[in-house]
Amino acid sequence: MPSLKDLRNRISSVKSTKKITSAMKMVAAAKLKRAQDNAERSRPYAQKMSEIVNSLVRNKGEKEFKYGEKKNSKPKNVLLVVCSADRGLCGGFNTSIIKYAKKLSEKLKKEGKITNYIFLGKKAYFSLKRSYEKSILDFFSDIANPSVKFELAGMVRDKILELFLNGSIDECHLIYTKFQSAISQSVNSLQLLPLSKKNQEDTKEDKSSISYDFEPDEEVILNEIIPRNVAIQIHTALLENLASEHGSRMTAMDNATRNANDMIDDLTLFYNRSRQALITKELIEIISGAEAV
Amino acid sequence: MTLNLEIISPQNIFYSQEVELVILPGIEGDFGVLKNHMPLLTYLRLGIIYVYKQKKLMNSFLVNGGIVEVLDNKCTLLTEDILESKDFKVQSDSNIEKLKLKLTKNLHYK
Repeated sequence: MPSLKDLRNRISSVKSTKKITSAMKMVAAAKLKRAQDNAERSRPYAQKMSEIVNSLVRNKGEKEFKYGEKKNSKPKNVLLVVCSADRGLCGGFNTSIIKYAKKLSEKLKKEGKITNYIFLGKKAYFSLKRSYEKSILDFFSDIANPSVKFELAGMVRDKILELFLNGSIDECHLIYTKFQSAISQSVNSLQLLPLSKKNQEDTKEDKSSISYDFEPDEEVILNEIIPRNVAIQIHTALLENLASEHGSRMTAMDNATRNANDMIDDLTLFYNRSRQALITKELIEIISGAEAV
Repeated sequence: MTLNLEIISPQNIFYSQEVELVILPGIEGDFGVLKNHMPLLTYLRLGIIYVYKQKKLMNSFLVNGGIVEVLDNKCTLLTEDILESKDFKVQSDSNIEKLKLKLTKNLHYK
C-alpha cells in the first residue's frame, strides 16, 4: 500500500498535469477560432479556381497539354505530399495522417508504382523517415509558425511542377486533413497532377459545354492557371490541416483534463480513506494498549 | 439584369456587388465588361480596376495579376494582390519606390 506521502505526491502531480492540459485546451480553442476562420475564408477562392480549371480541362477533352495526362505511358512515379502537424499532443491527428499515407503508398506499390514523398510538417516526416528514407524528396517544417504563408505553398508548388515537367514524377497526390468541425476531421487525398477528365467524374457535368472566349489563348491560360491552382490547393490544404490540428488538440486536451479530474477525485478519495484507516488503526492501538494496562 | 462583380482573394471575398461596367487591366490590354458579355477567360497584369454604377465611378482597385472569368452576367476575379485605391496613399517619391518594390515582391507569379 502506498504511503500517505506517496499519495499526496501523486495527487499534486496529476493536478499540475491538469493545469497544463487545461491551459493547452484553452490556447488551442483560441487558435482554432482563427484557423477555422482562415480556412473557411480561403474556401471560395480554392473552389472557384478548381471549378474554372475543371471546366477548362473538360473542354480540352482528350487532347494532350502541358499538365495533362501523358498518353502512351502508364504513370509510374507518384509523388505524395503529406501534410501533418509540427507538434504532437493533438490526439489521433498525426497518427491518422500517417496511417492514411502508409495505406495509400502500399496500395500504389501494389499497382507497381514507385512512390516519392514531400513532407510538410515534422510529425509525419519523423515517423515515416525510416521506412521511406530513400524516396523522400523534400521536407518543410515550421509550416504554421507564426501563420500559414502563401509563399510556402508557392515554394512547394515550384518544386512539384519542376519535378513534373522534367519527368521525374507522373502523378502527384496531396494528403491532408479536411476540417469539418472541432470534433470531426477526416483525412483526404487530392490529385494535384496530372489533370484529367477521369478524376472529375464525381463533379457535376452540367457546365460541360461552355465555350469561353480566351485571351490570349486556351493553352496560355491553362499554363498560367494550373500553377496557381496547385499553389492555392496546397495553401488551402495547409489551412484546413492547421484548423484540424487545433480542433483535434482541443478535444484531446479536453479529454485529458476530464481524465485528470476523475483521477484526482479517485486519488483524493483513496487518500482520505487511507488517512482515516490510519487514524482508526492508531486509535485501536491506543485503546487496546490502555485496556491491557 | 445587371452584372455581378465578385473579387475573391485567398483571405476573403473582397468585393461582391451588382455593377454596370467594370474595366479590367487584361494581359493584352484593358477591357470593359458590361452585362450580357460573352463567356471570357483571361488573366490580368498589374493595373487598376474601375467599377462603374449608374454612369458614375464607384470604386477603383489596384490589382497585381489574377484570373478573370465572365460567365452568365457574372464576373469573377481571383487574385492574391488587391487593394482599394483609396487605401493606396502616396506621400513622397521614395514611398512610391517602396510600394513598387512591395508590389513586385508580392508577385508570386511571373
